[in-house]
Amino acid sequence: MTDLQGLDSFVERWRAPAGRHAAVAIAAITAAVAGVGLLVYSTGGTAFAWLNLMYLPIVLSAALFRIPGGIGAALLAGLVIGPFMPLYVPRGIPQPAANWMARTGFFLIIGAFTGMLFTWLTAQYDRLKKAHEELLQSHRQLRDTQMELIQAAKLESIGRLAAGVAHEVKNPLAVIQMGVDYLDTSLNAGPDVKEVLDEIDAAVKRADAVIKGLVNFSRSEALELIPADLNGILESALNLVRHELKTEHITLETRLDRSISAVAVDRNKIQQVFINLFMNAVQAMEGGGSLTVTTEQRKLSGEDLGRLSHGKQRFAAGDSAVVVEITDTGPGIPEDKLDKLFDPFFTTKPVGKGTGLGLSVSRTIIDHHDAVIAIRNREEGGALATILFKPNRGRNPL
Amino acid sequence: MKKRILVVDDEASLTRMIKRGLEAKGEYQVQEENSGERALVAARDFKPDLVLLDVMMPECDGGSIAADFEEADDLKHIPIVFLTAIVTREETDPCGTRIGRHTFLAKPVDLDDLVTCIKDHIGP
Repeated sequence: MTDLQGLDSFVERWRAPAGRHAAVAIAAITAAVAGVGLLVYSTGGTAFAWLNLMYLPIVLSAALFRIPGGIGAALLAGLVIGPFMPLYVPRGIPQPAANWMARTGFFLIIGAFTGMLFTWLTAQYDRLKKAHEELLQSHRQLRDTQMELIQAAKLESIGRLAAGVAHEVKNPLAVIQMGVDYLDTSLNAGPDVKEVLDEIDAAVKRADAVIKGLVNFSRSEALELIPADLNGILESALNLVRHELKTEHITLETRLDRSISAVAVDRNKIQQVFINLFMNAVQAMEGGGSLTVTTEQRKLSGEDLGRLSHGKQRFAAGDSAVVVEITDTGPGIPEDKLDKLFDPFFTTKPVGKGTGLGLSVSRTIIDHHDAVIAIRNREEGGALATILFKPNRGRNPL
Repeated sequence: MKKRILVVDDEASLTRMIKRGLEAKGEYQVQEENSGERALVAARDFKPDLVLLDVMMPECDGGSIAADFEEADDLKHIPIVFLTAIVTREETDPCGTRIGRHTFLAKPVDLDDLVTCIKDHIGP
Protein backbone atom coordinates (compact mmCIF):
# COMPACT_ATOMS: atom_id res chain seq x y z
CA MET A 1 0.00 0.00 0.00
CA THR A 2 2.84 2.38 0.96
CA ASP A 3 4.73 1.59 -2.28
CA LEU A 4 1.61 2.25 -4.28
CA GLN A 5 1.09 5.54 -2.46
CA GLY A 6 4.70 6.53 -3.32
CA LEU A 7 4.10 5.68 -6.97
CA ASP A 8 0.80 7.51 -6.87
CA SER A 9 2.33 10.71 -5.58
CA PHE A 10 5.19 10.49 -8.18
CA VAL A 11 2.68 9.99 -11.00
CA GLU A 12 0.44 12.76 -9.67
CA ARG A 13 3.37 15.19 -9.60
CA TRP A 14 4.73 14.40 -13.05
CA ARG A 15 1.72 13.25 -15.07
CA ALA A 16 1.03 16.77 -16.34
CA PRO A 17 3.72 19.09 -14.96
CA ALA A 18 2.74 22.70 -14.59
CA GLY A 19 4.42 25.84 -13.35
CA ARG A 20 7.84 25.27 -11.83
CA HIS A 21 7.76 21.55 -12.58
CA ALA A 22 6.99 22.23 -16.25
CA ALA A 23 9.86 24.74 -16.50
CA VAL A 24 12.29 22.24 -14.94
CA ALA A 25 11.09 19.49 -17.28
CA ILE A 26 11.40 21.66 -20.44
CA ALA A 27 14.87 22.85 -19.40
CA ALA A 28 15.98 19.25 -18.73
CA ILE A 29 14.63 18.00 -22.09
CA THR A 30 16.22 20.91 -23.99
CA ALA A 31 19.54 20.30 -22.20
CA ALA A 32 19.33 16.57 -22.97
CA VAL A 33 18.66 17.23 -26.69
CA ALA A 34 21.52 19.72 -26.83
CA GLY A 35 23.78 17.32 -24.91
CA VAL A 36 23.05 14.43 -27.26
CA GLY A 37 23.64 16.81 -30.24
CA LEU A 38 27.03 17.73 -28.79
CA LEU A 39 27.83 14.06 -28.18
CA VAL A 40 26.87 13.17 -31.77
CA TYR A 41 29.00 15.98 -33.18
CA SER A 42 32.01 15.13 -31.04
CA THR A 43 31.88 11.37 -31.70
CA GLY A 44 31.75 11.26 -35.46
CA GLY A 45 28.46 12.61 -36.88
CA THR A 46 24.90 11.67 -37.51
CA ALA A 47 25.78 8.33 -39.14
CA PHE A 48 26.92 6.96 -35.79
CA ALA A 49 24.87 5.04 -33.20
CA TRP A 50 25.11 7.77 -30.52
CA LEU A 51 22.39 9.57 -32.44
CA ASN A 52 19.87 7.00 -31.14
CA LEU A 53 20.28 8.56 -27.68
CA MET A 54 18.19 11.43 -29.08
CA TYR A 55 15.09 9.23 -28.68
CA LEU A 56 15.42 9.39 -24.88
CA PRO A 57 14.55 13.10 -24.42
CA ILE A 58 11.88 12.76 -27.14
CA VAL A 59 10.20 9.86 -25.27
CA LEU A 60 10.60 11.69 -21.97
CA SER A 61 9.01 14.83 -23.41
CA ALA A 62 6.13 12.79 -24.88
CA ALA A 63 5.64 11.12 -21.48
CA LEU A 64 5.43 14.46 -19.72
CA PHE A 65 3.63 16.62 -22.27
CA ARG A 66 1.94 13.97 -24.47
CA ILE A 67 1.70 14.49 -28.23
CA PRO A 68 2.70 18.21 -28.26
CA GLY A 69 5.67 17.35 -26.05
CA GLY A 70 6.75 14.45 -28.28
CA ILE A 71 6.46 16.51 -31.48
CA GLY A 72 8.14 19.56 -29.90
CA ALA A 73 11.13 17.53 -28.68
CA ALA A 74 11.34 15.74 -32.07
CA LEU A 75 11.44 19.06 -33.93
CA LEU A 76 14.07 20.39 -31.50
CA ALA A 77 16.15 17.25 -32.02
CA GLY A 78 15.75 17.64 -35.81
CA LEU A 79 16.96 21.23 -35.51
CA VAL A 80 19.98 20.19 -33.45
CA ILE A 81 21.07 17.58 -35.98
CA GLY A 82 20.22 20.00 -38.82
CA PRO A 83 21.69 19.61 -42.30
CA PHE A 84 24.68 21.63 -41.14
CA MET A 85 25.84 18.72 -38.98
CA PRO A 86 28.19 16.52 -41.05
CA LEU A 87 27.43 12.87 -41.71
CA TYR A 88 31.06 11.95 -40.90
CA VAL A 89 32.72 14.71 -38.90
CA PRO A 90 36.36 13.50 -39.13
CA ARG A 91 36.17 13.23 -42.90
CA GLY A 92 34.07 16.32 -43.31
CA ILE A 93 31.39 14.53 -45.32
CA PRO A 94 28.25 16.71 -45.40
CA GLN A 95 24.96 15.21 -44.35
CA PRO A 96 22.49 14.84 -47.24
CA ALA A 97 19.21 16.71 -46.67
CA ALA A 98 17.25 13.50 -47.30
CA ASN A 99 19.14 11.82 -44.43
CA TRP A 100 18.33 14.68 -42.05
CA MET A 101 14.69 14.76 -43.11
CA ALA A 102 14.34 11.00 -42.64
CA ARG A 103 15.87 11.13 -39.16
CA THR A 104 13.67 14.07 -38.17
CA GLY A 105 10.70 12.13 -39.55
CA PHE A 106 11.58 9.15 -37.30
CA PHE A 107 11.89 11.51 -34.34
CA LEU A 108 8.43 12.91 -35.11
CA ILE A 109 6.88 9.47 -35.51
CA ILE A 110 8.37 8.26 -32.22
CA GLY A 111 7.47 11.55 -30.47
CA ALA A 112 3.85 11.52 -31.68
CA PHE A 113 3.38 7.79 -31.12
CA THR A 114 4.83 7.92 -27.60
CA GLY A 115 2.66 10.96 -26.87
CA MET A 116 -0.43 9.01 -27.96
CA LEU A 117 0.65 6.02 -25.92
CA PHE A 118 1.05 8.10 -22.80
CA THR A 119 -2.30 9.84 -23.40
CA TRP A 120 -3.91 6.41 -23.50
CA LEU A 121 -1.90 5.19 -20.49
CA THR A 122 -2.88 8.24 -18.44
CA ALA A 123 -6.55 7.73 -19.29
CA GLN A 124 -6.22 4.09 -18.25
CA TYR A 125 -4.41 5.11 -15.07
CA ASP A 126 -7.18 7.59 -14.22
CA ARG A 127 -9.84 4.97 -14.88
CA LEU A 128 -8.06 2.40 -12.74
CA LYS A 129 -7.50 4.90 -10.00
CA LYS A 130 -11.18 5.87 -9.97
CA ALA A 131 -12.17 2.19 -9.96
CA HIS A 132 -9.72 1.58 -7.12
CA GLU A 133 -11.20 4.43 -5.09
CA GLU A 134 -14.72 3.20 -5.76
CA LEU A 135 -13.64 -0.28 -4.73
CA LEU A 136 -12.16 1.04 -1.50
CA GLN A 137 -15.33 3.03 -0.86
CA SER A 138 -17.49 -0.05 -1.53
CA HIS A 139 -15.25 -2.08 0.72
CA ARG A 140 -15.63 0.45 3.50
CA GLN A 141 -19.41 0.52 3.03
CA LEU A 142 -19.52 -3.26 2.94
CA ARG A 143 -17.54 -3.45 6.16
CA ASP A 144 -19.81 -0.86 7.83
CA THR A 145 -22.93 -2.65 6.63
CA GLN A 146 -21.53 -5.97 7.76
CA MET A 147 -20.84 -4.54 11.21
CA GLU A 148 -24.38 -3.19 11.33
CA LEU A 149 -25.78 -6.54 10.24
CA ILE A 150 -23.82 -8.30 12.96
CA GLN A 151 -25.07 -5.72 15.44
CA ALA A 152 -28.65 -6.06 14.17
CA ALA A 153 -28.49 -9.85 14.39
CA LYS A 154 -27.09 -9.54 17.90
CA LEU A 155 -29.86 -7.16 18.89
CA GLU A 156 -32.51 -9.33 17.30
CA SER A 157 -31.37 -12.42 19.17
CA ILE A 158 -31.24 -10.45 22.40
CA GLY A 159 -34.73 -9.17 21.60
CA ARG A 160 -36.09 -12.68 21.13
CA LEU A 161 -34.41 -13.84 24.30
CA ALA A 162 -35.70 -10.76 26.12
CA ALA A 163 -39.35 -11.45 25.30
CA GLY A 164 -39.08 -14.95 26.75
CA VAL A 165 -37.10 -13.83 29.78
CA ALA A 166 -39.56 -11.00 30.43
CA HIS A 167 -42.45 -13.42 30.63
CA GLU A 168 -40.62 -15.88 32.82
CA VAL A 169 -39.37 -13.23 35.23
CA LYS A 170 -42.66 -11.40 35.62
CA ASN A 171 -44.42 -14.37 37.21
CA PRO A 172 -41.97 -14.76 40.10
CA LEU A 173 -41.96 -10.97 40.45
CA ALA A 174 -45.73 -11.07 40.72
CA VAL A 175 -45.42 -13.67 43.49
CA ILE A 176 -42.93 -11.51 45.40
CA GLN A 177 -45.04 -8.38 44.93
CA MET A 178 -48.20 -10.10 46.09
CA GLY A 179 -46.34 -11.67 49.01
CA VAL A 180 -44.91 -8.34 50.14
CA ASP A 181 -48.33 -6.69 49.91
CA TYR A 182 -49.83 -9.56 51.91
CA LEU A 183 -47.17 -9.33 54.62
CA ASP A 184 -47.50 -5.56 54.68
CA THR A 185 -51.23 -5.73 55.39
CA SER A 186 -51.26 -8.84 57.57
CA LEU A 187 -48.27 -8.35 59.85
CA ASN A 188 -48.51 -5.99 62.70
CA ALA A 189 -44.94 -5.13 61.85
CA GLY A 190 -42.59 -2.72 63.55
CA PRO A 191 -40.73 -0.01 61.59
CA ASP A 192 -37.75 -2.28 60.85
CA VAL A 193 -39.84 -4.95 59.18
CA LYS A 194 -41.85 -2.28 57.38
CA GLU A 195 -38.60 -0.82 56.03
CA VAL A 196 -37.48 -4.24 54.78
CA LEU A 197 -40.83 -4.77 53.07
CA ASP A 198 -40.61 -1.34 51.44
CA GLU A 199 -37.15 -2.17 50.15
CA ILE A 200 -38.36 -5.46 48.69
CA ASP A 201 -41.25 -3.58 47.10
CA ALA A 202 -38.84 -1.02 45.57
CA ALA A 203 -36.59 -3.84 44.32
CA VAL A 204 -39.54 -5.53 42.63
CA LYS A 205 -40.47 -2.27 40.92
CA ARG A 206 -36.87 -1.80 39.79
CA ALA A 207 -36.73 -5.32 38.37
CA ASP A 208 -40.07 -4.65 36.69
CA ALA A 209 -38.58 -1.52 35.10
CA VAL A 210 -35.79 -3.63 33.60
CA ILE A 211 -38.36 -6.05 32.26
CA LYS A 212 -40.32 -3.16 30.81
CA GLY A 213 -37.19 -2.07 28.95
CA LEU A 214 -36.66 -5.62 27.71
CA VAL A 215 -40.22 -5.89 26.48
CA ASN A 216 -39.95 -2.53 24.70
CA PHE A 217 -36.64 -3.57 23.24
CA SER A 218 -37.94 -6.87 21.96
CA ARG A 219 -41.00 -5.42 20.29
CA SER A 220 -40.85 -4.68 16.61
CA GLU A 221 -44.40 -3.47 16.41
CA ALA A 222 -45.36 -1.33 13.46
CA LEU A 223 -44.88 2.37 14.04
CA GLU A 224 -47.62 4.86 13.42
CA LEU A 225 -45.67 7.30 11.31
CA ILE A 226 -47.50 10.59 11.01
CA PRO A 227 -45.94 13.90 9.89
CA ALA A 228 -45.36 15.88 13.06
CA ASP A 229 -43.55 18.94 14.32
CA LEU A 230 -40.47 17.80 16.24
CA ASN A 231 -40.39 21.10 18.15
CA GLY A 232 -43.78 20.30 19.67
CA ILE A 233 -42.72 16.78 20.63
CA LEU A 234 -39.51 18.11 22.19
CA GLU A 235 -41.45 20.71 24.17
CA SER A 236 -43.91 18.17 25.56
CA ALA A 237 -41.01 15.82 26.43
CA LEU A 238 -39.28 18.73 28.21
CA ASN A 239 -42.46 19.44 30.15
CA LEU A 240 -42.33 15.89 31.49
CA VAL A 241 -38.77 16.27 32.80
CA ARG A 242 -39.14 19.87 34.01
CA HIS A 243 -39.47 18.69 37.59
CA GLU A 244 -36.18 16.74 37.36
CA LEU A 245 -34.43 19.75 35.82
CA LYS A 246 -35.58 21.96 38.66
CA THR A 247 -34.67 19.45 41.36
CA GLU A 248 -31.17 18.98 39.93
CA HIS A 249 -30.64 22.73 39.41
CA ILE A 250 -30.25 22.38 35.68
CA THR A 251 -30.93 25.37 33.49
CA LEU A 252 -32.64 24.77 30.18
CA GLU A 253 -31.89 26.56 26.95
CA THR A 254 -33.93 25.84 23.84
CA ARG A 255 -33.18 27.11 20.34
CA LEU A 256 -35.92 25.61 18.23
CA ASP A 257 -36.05 26.57 14.57
CA ARG A 258 -39.75 27.06 13.86
CA SER A 259 -39.25 26.72 10.10
CA ILE A 260 -38.11 23.06 10.11
CA SER A 261 -40.05 20.60 7.97
CA ALA A 262 -42.42 18.14 9.51
CA VAL A 263 -40.99 14.66 10.09
CA ALA A 264 -42.91 11.39 9.79
CA VAL A 265 -42.68 9.96 13.31
CA ASP A 266 -44.45 7.83 15.84
CA ARG A 267 -45.03 10.65 18.28
CA ASN A 268 -45.06 8.54 21.45
CA LYS A 269 -41.97 6.56 20.53
CA ILE A 270 -39.96 9.62 19.60
CA GLN A 271 -41.08 11.38 22.75
CA GLN A 272 -39.83 8.34 24.65
CA VAL A 273 -36.43 8.73 22.96
CA PHE A 274 -36.24 12.43 23.82
CA ILE A 275 -37.22 11.82 27.45
CA ASN A 276 -34.60 9.10 27.63
CA LEU A 277 -31.89 11.44 26.33
CA PHE A 278 -33.02 14.24 28.65
CA MET A 279 -32.95 11.91 31.66
CA ASN A 280 -29.47 10.67 30.70
CA ALA A 281 -28.33 14.30 30.53
CA VAL A 282 -29.96 15.08 33.89
CA GLN A 283 -28.29 12.08 35.51
CA ALA A 284 -24.95 13.13 34.01
CA MET A 285 -25.20 16.59 35.59
CA GLU A 286 -25.40 15.81 39.28
CA GLY A 287 -25.28 19.04 41.21
CA GLY A 288 -26.42 21.22 38.32
CA GLY A 289 -25.54 22.20 34.80
CA SER A 290 -27.10 23.32 31.60
CA LEU A 291 -29.21 21.40 29.11
CA THR A 292 -29.42 22.83 25.60
CA VAL A 293 -31.91 21.58 23.04
CA THR A 294 -31.73 22.83 19.47
CA THR A 295 -33.45 22.03 16.20
CA GLU A 296 -32.52 23.09 12.71
CA GLN A 297 -32.82 21.96 9.14
CA ARG A 298 -29.64 21.89 7.10
CA LYS A 299 -27.78 20.16 4.32
CA LEU A 300 -25.47 17.51 5.73
CA SER A 301 -21.73 17.79 5.19
CA GLY A 302 -19.20 15.00 4.91
CA GLU A 303 -18.10 15.97 8.42
CA ASP A 304 -21.63 15.39 9.74
CA LEU A 305 -21.68 11.92 8.20
CA GLY A 306 -18.15 11.17 9.43
CA ARG A 307 -19.38 11.52 13.01
CA LEU A 308 -21.96 8.77 12.62
CA SER A 309 -21.06 5.41 14.06
CA HIS A 310 -23.87 3.62 12.25
CA GLY A 311 -26.62 4.24 9.71
CA LYS A 312 -24.31 6.25 7.43
CA GLN A 313 -26.01 4.79 4.38
CA ARG A 314 -29.30 6.45 5.34
CA PHE A 315 -27.95 9.88 4.42
CA ALA A 316 -25.56 11.26 1.82
CA ALA A 317 -23.57 14.48 1.91
CA GLY A 318 -25.78 17.29 0.62
CA ASP A 319 -29.02 15.64 1.85
CA SER A 320 -31.34 17.87 3.80
CA ALA A 321 -31.98 16.71 7.37
CA VAL A 322 -33.91 17.91 10.39
CA VAL A 323 -31.28 17.91 13.12
CA VAL A 324 -32.06 17.69 16.83
CA GLU A 325 -29.15 18.30 19.20
CA ILE A 326 -29.23 17.74 22.94
CA THR A 327 -26.21 19.03 24.83
CA ASP A 328 -25.31 18.69 28.47
CA THR A 329 -22.50 20.15 30.56
CA GLY A 330 -21.78 16.93 32.46
CA PRO A 331 -18.44 15.11 32.51
CA GLY A 332 -18.98 13.54 29.08
CA ILE A 333 -18.60 9.87 28.26
CA PRO A 334 -15.30 8.02 28.78
CA GLU A 335 -13.71 7.59 25.34
CA ASP A 336 -13.44 3.80 25.70
CA LYS A 337 -17.17 3.58 26.38
CA LEU A 338 -18.36 5.63 23.43
CA ASP A 339 -18.66 2.74 20.99
CA LYS A 340 -20.62 0.62 23.47
CA LEU A 341 -23.27 3.21 24.31
CA PHE A 342 -25.99 1.59 22.23
CA ASP A 343 -25.27 -1.98 23.30
CA PRO A 344 -28.07 -3.52 25.36
CA PHE A 345 -27.29 -3.61 29.09
CA PHE A 346 -24.36 -1.27 28.72
CA THR A 347 -24.56 1.54 31.25
CA THR A 348 -22.22 4.16 32.66
CA LYS A 349 -24.50 4.72 35.60
CA PRO A 350 -23.98 3.26 39.07
CA VAL A 351 -25.70 -0.04 39.87
CA GLY A 352 -29.41 0.52 40.32
CA LYS A 353 -29.42 3.88 38.54
CA GLY A 354 -30.05 2.62 35.05
CA THR A 355 -31.11 -0.51 33.28
CA GLY A 356 -28.65 -0.13 30.41
CA LEU A 357 -31.52 -0.51 27.99
CA GLY A 358 -32.52 3.11 27.48
CA LEU A 359 -30.14 3.96 24.68
CA SER A 360 -30.41 0.62 22.91
CA VAL A 361 -34.21 0.94 22.93
CA SER A 362 -33.84 4.53 21.73
CA ARG A 363 -31.59 3.47 18.92
CA THR A 364 -34.00 0.73 17.87
CA ILE A 365 -36.79 3.31 17.74
CA ILE A 366 -34.61 5.75 15.80
CA ASP A 367 -33.59 2.98 13.39
CA HIS A 368 -37.25 2.18 12.76
CA HIS A 369 -37.73 5.83 11.75
CA ASP A 370 -34.91 5.53 9.19
CA ALA A 371 -33.21 8.23 11.24
CA VAL A 372 -29.76 8.20 12.85
CA ILE A 373 -28.59 8.93 16.37
CA ALA A 374 -25.01 9.72 17.34
CA ILE A 375 -23.54 10.62 20.71
CA ARG A 376 -20.13 12.19 21.21
CA ASN A 377 -18.19 14.30 23.64
CA ARG A 378 -17.89 18.01 22.97
CA GLU A 379 -14.52 19.70 22.99
CA GLU A 380 -15.92 22.26 25.44
CA GLY A 381 -16.94 19.41 27.77
CA GLY A 382 -20.18 17.51 28.19
CA ALA A 383 -21.93 15.18 25.80
CA LEU A 384 -23.83 15.92 22.62
CA ALA A 385 -26.57 13.71 21.22
CA THR A 386 -27.45 14.37 17.60
CA ILE A 387 -30.43 12.87 15.83
CA LEU A 388 -30.84 13.25 12.09
CA PHE A 389 -34.33 12.86 10.66
CA LYS A 390 -35.36 12.80 7.04
CA PRO A 391 -37.72 15.72 6.45
CA ASN A 392 -41.19 14.88 5.33
CA ARG A 393 -41.67 16.08 1.74
CA GLY A 394 -42.63 19.74 1.54
CA ARG A 395 -42.06 22.33 4.24
CA ASN A 396 -44.51 23.07 7.02
CA PRO A 397 -47.39 20.93 5.83
CA LEU A 398 -48.79 20.87 9.36
CA MET B 1 -71.51 -12.80 52.10
CA LYS B 2 -68.00 -13.08 50.76
CA LYS B 3 -67.37 -12.54 47.06
CA ARG B 4 -66.05 -15.60 45.30
CA ILE B 5 -62.94 -15.21 43.15
CA LEU B 6 -61.51 -17.93 40.92
CA VAL B 7 -57.80 -17.50 40.13
CA VAL B 8 -56.57 -19.43 37.09
CA ASP B 9 -52.81 -19.33 36.61
CA ASP B 10 -50.25 -22.07 36.02
CA GLU B 11 -47.94 -20.40 38.55
CA ALA B 12 -49.08 -22.14 41.75
CA SER B 13 -47.09 -19.86 44.03
CA LEU B 14 -48.82 -16.83 42.51
CA THR B 15 -52.34 -18.22 42.89
CA ARG B 16 -51.45 -19.15 46.46
CA MET B 17 -50.22 -15.64 47.16
CA ILE B 18 -53.28 -14.01 45.57
CA LYS B 19 -55.51 -16.31 47.64
CA ARG B 20 -53.68 -15.34 50.81
CA GLY B 21 -53.69 -11.64 49.96
CA LEU B 22 -57.35 -11.42 49.00
CA GLU B 23 -58.60 -13.64 51.80
CA ALA B 24 -56.65 -11.58 54.30
CA LYS B 25 -58.88 -8.67 53.30
CA GLY B 26 -61.76 -10.63 54.78
CA GLU B 27 -64.13 -9.92 51.93
CA TYR B 28 -63.21 -12.66 49.49
CA GLN B 29 -63.29 -16.38 49.19
CA VAL B 30 -60.71 -17.50 46.67
CA GLN B 31 -60.26 -20.75 44.79
CA GLU B 32 -57.06 -21.55 42.93
CA GLU B 33 -56.88 -23.42 39.66
CA ASN B 34 -53.46 -24.11 38.13
CA SER B 35 -54.66 -25.83 34.99
CA GLY B 36 -56.19 -23.77 32.22
CA GLU B 37 -57.99 -26.82 30.88
CA ARG B 38 -59.84 -27.25 34.16
CA ALA B 39 -60.91 -23.59 34.37
CA LEU B 40 -64.45 -24.19 33.10
CA VAL B 41 -65.02 -27.17 35.37
CA ALA B 42 -63.68 -25.20 38.31
CA ALA B 43 -65.93 -22.24 37.47
CA ARG B 44 -69.07 -24.42 37.25
CA ASP B 45 -68.12 -26.06 40.50
CA PHE B 46 -67.13 -22.93 42.45
CA LYS B 47 -69.57 -20.43 40.83
CA PRO B 48 -67.27 -17.41 41.16
CA ASP B 49 -68.35 -13.77 41.04
CA LEU B 50 -65.19 -12.95 39.09
CA VAL B 51 -62.34 -14.85 37.40
CA LEU B 52 -58.71 -13.74 37.48
CA LEU B 53 -57.21 -15.40 34.41
CA ASP B 54 -53.62 -15.71 33.26
CA VAL B 55 -53.13 -14.99 29.54
CA MET B 56 -50.27 -17.38 28.78
CA MET B 57 -50.47 -20.89 30.17
CA PRO B 58 -48.75 -24.04 28.91
CA GLU B 59 -51.73 -26.07 27.72
CA CYS B 60 -54.14 -23.31 26.66
CA ASP B 61 -54.21 -19.54 26.56
CA GLY B 62 -56.43 -17.24 28.58
CA GLY B 63 -58.05 -15.85 25.45
CA SER B 64 -59.58 -19.19 24.43
CA ILE B 65 -60.68 -19.89 27.99
CA ALA B 66 -62.45 -16.50 28.01
CA ALA B 67 -64.08 -17.41 24.67
CA ASP B 68 -65.31 -20.69 26.19
CA PHE B 69 -66.78 -18.74 29.12
CA GLU B 70 -68.62 -16.47 26.68
CA GLU B 71 -70.08 -19.39 24.78
CA ALA B 72 -71.35 -21.07 27.92
CA ASP B 73 -74.75 -19.70 28.98
CA ASP B 74 -74.10 -20.47 32.63
CA LEU B 75 -70.71 -18.72 32.67
CA LYS B 76 -70.89 -15.81 30.25
CA HIS B 77 -72.12 -13.38 32.92
CA ILE B 78 -68.94 -13.83 34.99
CA PRO B 79 -66.51 -10.92 34.57
CA ILE B 80 -62.96 -11.90 33.67
CA VAL B 81 -59.85 -9.93 34.58
CA PHE B 82 -56.73 -10.99 32.75
CA LEU B 83 -53.42 -11.09 34.57
CA THR B 84 -50.70 -10.77 32.00
CA ALA B 85 -46.95 -10.65 31.82
CA ILE B 86 -46.96 -9.51 28.22
CA VAL B 87 -47.93 -5.93 28.83
CA THR B 88 -46.05 -3.67 31.21
CA ARG B 89 -47.43 -1.85 34.20
CA GLU B 90 -46.97 1.47 32.41
CA GLU B 91 -49.16 0.30 29.56
CA THR B 92 -52.12 -0.38 31.79
CA ASP B 93 -53.91 1.72 34.35
CA PRO B 94 -53.14 0.63 37.91
CA CYS B 95 -56.64 -0.78 38.09
CA GLY B 96 -56.47 -2.46 34.72
CA THR B 97 -57.04 -1.46 31.14
CA ARG B 98 -60.17 -2.48 29.35
CA ILE B 99 -59.63 -4.02 25.95
CA GLY B 100 -62.97 -4.90 24.48
CA ARG B 101 -65.07 -6.48 27.21
CA HIS B 102 -62.13 -7.53 29.34
CA THR B 103 -59.76 -5.88 31.74
CA PHE B 104 -56.02 -6.48 31.67
CA LEU B 105 -53.78 -6.14 34.70
CA ALA B 106 -50.02 -6.22 34.24
CA LYS B 107 -47.98 -8.53 36.42
CA PRO B 108 -46.61 -7.84 38.97
CA VAL B 109 -49.79 -6.34 40.35
CA ASP B 110 -50.24 -4.54 43.67
CA LEU B 111 -52.71 -6.19 46.05
CA ASP B 112 -54.51 -2.85 46.50
CA ASP B 113 -54.77 -2.33 42.73
CA LEU B 114 -56.12 -5.85 42.37
CA VAL B 115 -58.76 -5.23 45.04
CA THR B 116 -59.74 -1.90 43.41
CA CYS B 117 -60.08 -3.65 40.06
CA ILE B 118 -62.21 -6.44 41.54
CA LYS B 119 -64.45 -3.86 43.25
CA ASP B 120 -64.81 -1.99 39.96
CA HIS B 121 -66.31 -5.12 38.46
CA ILE B 122 -68.36 -6.70 41.21
CA GLY B 123 -68.79 -3.91 43.73
CA PRO B 124 -67.60 -3.75 47.32
